[in-house]
Amino acid sequence: MGSYDLVDVEVTHESADDLLDSVSEEGTGVEHLQSIQAVRLQAGQPDSELRSLKELDENSVKLLEHQVDAAYRALFEMDGKALLADEVGLGKTIEVGMILKEMHFRETDESVLILTPAQLAKQWQAELREKFGLGFVCNYDDEFEDFDAHDYIIASIDTAKSERHRQTVLNRDWDVLVLDEAHYVKNEETDRYDLIDRLSYNYAFFLTATPIQNELTDLYNVVSLLRPGLFGTRDVFHQYFVNSNQETLVNRDELQDRLNKVMIRNRREDTDIDFTDRTIDTRTFNPTPKERELYQAVSDYVKGAYSQDQGQKLVLMLLQKEVVSSPVALKRTIEKRLYEQSEFTHADELETILDLIDEIDTVTKQERLLDIVEEARDNVEMGRVIVFTQFRATQQEILDRLAAEGYTVHAFHGGHSSSEKEQIIEDFEEEGGVLVSTDSMSEGRNLQFCNMLVNLDLPWNPMRVEQRIGRVHRIGQKRDVFIFNMALKDTVEEYVLERLYHKIDLFQQSVGELSSILSRLEESGTSFEDQIFDRLVNADSEVDLENDFDAMAVDLQEQRELADKLEEFNNGVFEGFDLGESDD
Amino acid sequence: MTEAALAVTQSLVEEFTECYLKSLGGTIEKRGGTWEVSIPDSEDTELPAGSLSLLCGPDRDKAATGESLHPEGEFFQRILREATERQPTGKLSIEADRDDVEIPQWIKEGDVEVRGAQFTPYYDRTAIVVLFEVSIETVSEYQQELLRAIAIDHRSEQRLPTLEETFLHMTLITTNSSPTTTQSSLSETDTRSLLKTAQDQLMKSIQNEIEEIHNEASRAADAEVEEYRQLQQQRIQELEEERSELSSKIDDLSDTINGSDQDNRVEALKKRKEAKAEYEEVDAKLSTLQKQRDQGFPQKQDEIRKRHSLDIRVTPLTVTQVEYERGEIDVELADQGVSRTVTLGYGSGIGTTETVQCSSCDSVLSVENPLNTIKGSLRCRDCSSSND
Repeated sequence: MGSYDLVDVEVTHESADDLLDSVSEEGTGVEHLQSIQAVRLQAGQPDSELRSLKELDENSVKLLEHQVDAAYRALFEMDGKALLADEVGLGKTIEVGMILKEMHFRETDESVLILTPAQLAKQWQAELREKFGLGFVCNYDDEFEDFDAHDYIIASIDTAKSERHRQTVLNRDWDVLVLDEAHYVKNEETDRYDLIDRLSYNYAFFLTATPIQNELTDLYNVVSLLRPGLFGTRDVFHQYFVNSNQETLVNRDELQDRLNKVMIRNRREDTDIDFTDRTIDTRTFNPTPKERELYQAVSDYVKGAYSQDQGQKLVLMLLQKEVVSSPVALKRTIEKRLYEQSEFTHADELETILDLIDEIDTVTKQERLLDIVEEARDNVEMGRVIVFTQFRATQQEILDRLAAEGYTVHAFHGGHSSSEKEQIIEDFEEEGGVLVSTDSMSEGRNLQFCNMLVNLDLPWNPMRVEQRIGRVHRIGQKRDVFIFNMALKDTVEEYVLERLYHKIDLFQQSVGELSSILSRLEESGTSFEDQIFDRLVNADSEVDLENDFDAMAVDLQEQRELADKLEEFNNGVFEGFDLGESDD
Repeated sequence: MTEAALAVTQSLVEEFTECYLKSLGGTIEKRGGTWEVSIPDSEDTELPAGSLSLLCGPDRDKAATGESLHPEGEFFQRILREATERQPTGKLSIEADRDDVEIPQWIKEGDVEVRGAQFTPYYDRTAIVVLFEVSIETVSEYQQELLRAIAIDHRSEQRLPTLEETFLHMTLITTNSSPTTTQSSLSETDTRSLLKTAQDQLMKSIQNEIEEIHNEASRAADAEVEEYRQLQQQRIQELEEERSELSSKIDDLSDTINGSDQDNRVEALKKRKEAKAEYEEVDAKLSTLQKQRDQGFPQKQDEIRKRHSLDIRVTPLTVTQVEYERGEIDVELADQGVSRTVTLGYGSGIGTTETVQCSSCDSVLSVENPLNTIKGSLRCRDCSSSND
């Protein structure tokens, strides 16, 4: 890889005079032998075993072999600077917990900074406390003062990089830095990257499930933060490892050798994790004639308005989604449009829609939801069910309805503070009943104590669907998981569900598999949502629409094949980063 | 080559501590995880004389009083420091068991049966084994510490790799190891000369490791140079823009000077003078930078590469005179009804001292191409298979 003879090598031979002076000294063989042994022990790595493991409470945390292995390698084979890149759901937080526990045991952790996305900070804090007995202050805690006031801090990376705190964070020499979702710093031109680049630390553990998001440069950037110089310059890296069309990899063995010094990647298929079964129950209901009429009116309006003004796409898309979620969700948006934004062009149509909404006395999905929740009350521990909806109005209506029927209910949405969210989850675990949540729940929070989930409405973004499921179906879930999907017949939801989601086998895919399909799709320029909407508004007839969705399904299949190619590429890069890399 | 450092496990810590304390004349009474130790008042140690409780193992009771004994513990570190300094030079001898000889790999790997082997020593020989600590440091890589044993024969001044292995094996920590010492003694001059040879051999043996670190350091330096170059390029662009703006400003002012009344002209002249001075300053900066760029920023490159240079420190920590025996082994071989005795030069702890060639193709018999037949003469696997 080029010529590298420009760096000097200076060799100093220390004097042997003192040593040779003792050549003639008389001593016993035993003494000399012990000197040799002592020298050999002094040069040895202090006992490379995870000594703190014995101190962990088995009831709090069940360690898996690949996690112990990763913690060991990160600490002892990578000298405490490692990129933990397991696939989603294999417990990277646990690996870091073990590492931090071990460092605490060995007293090498005087100051620790954990940077996470904002919504995960509290979860990190809880997990480290409950599973590893490690106490951290979180920047959302009342007691948090500043980054120089505590020794063990979990903070959102954006708080740390903010004008107010940045200098304090940078002024300090940290013993340990943990960076969750490290792919957020893949772009070297961002403030986040700059912060990490300037931070001073002795040990660092970066976590990401997707080291390569789009191209190998992502990997270069993240790894270079952790081990500057491992790959040389960006240009050299590109010339040497990536061929010109960015698709194939060259000099793979050398890349692997270098990555092996810094990265640990366990893949789900190589671990002994046994996921419980996932049962999908998709229920499609006939809407009432009034609901059908409303749906038709909204669809016609959306189609007409869009053909006149494509700039309104987002709000029209919203209406199309709301009409299948609940009339009340739709009502708010339409009223806002009419009265606050003074929409005159289609005022009559909108007024008609409002009238139609008012005429609806039975909301089919709500009625049917009661059946599912009732089933849960009889069959699931403490009747715990999570119901997901995209809309706050729908959420509120369901909560009221369920409460009126005598169910214990809990509401979870983005408007709660972090500590309120903690409390809600805790209450839900203790009291049981129904948790009605918007998608603000979707990231990071673990709800393994619940195994039944209802998608009252379906996001048009498959990742969101999988994230919902991922809250309950992950390591630690001991029971089979039941997913209920609710859709109204002959609506966009039915198309999305039947023709698209089932086609890509969405409900049985892992996040890792799915994200690779979708990132391909998004790279092609259009989002999944846009594609659905475009088909919906551009179809001339029912038959057309069906054909369009079928065509989209075919596209998806193609993306899937492309995704397989990408996976092959990733596997190529990461081959050999599975379990048991250690030579010991 | 084998790393001489030992992985410091708790059990090794305990074994070594026990041996060491006993060698000082101390006594140990073990009660579960607690050792009651008594250390005599002796010149050999600076450990405090008297009684002491040592707390061992993972289950050590935190409430109990006493020194804790574990790899990073202060007590153990103190023992190690003391023991390393106690007798860093000394003598060991390898006594050969005449019937228990090391059969060479090129026989073991082949298809010929070994019926027996006997060693007949002819003379005593001396070698030195040096334990070297090698520290390799550069700014972009972790500091690496290696501990390596190098054995050099006194008479031939050749390196004896097998003796290095034997030495490391002999000096493992076991509670019942008791070395045999030798009487003969090398002079300081001889030892000094052998040590020099050992240093040279050591450097040869770690060449690959150094090369690898050197490459990585060079890559890191290159990345830094590149980053600097880009930064300067950006600066050049900024200066170019600045210069061009100033140039336009000067032109504009010249126009003003030509077409306005005296007051304005004087004002414009002043401004133009200032602008010209500024222009020259920027231009000078730019030229310097451009010149540096065209030359490839030699000074900065030099500075960066110096900062990334590898600092290798080699320190001999122990020197051991090892006495061994040289002679011959007779190896009785049998193959398809034919038997034959092969006599080979041999040393205790160093194995066979000569190579044997295939009688048919003259290639040296080895693990890869071992002895295959003794019918008629000794022949290698390659020759035997090509004749089949």
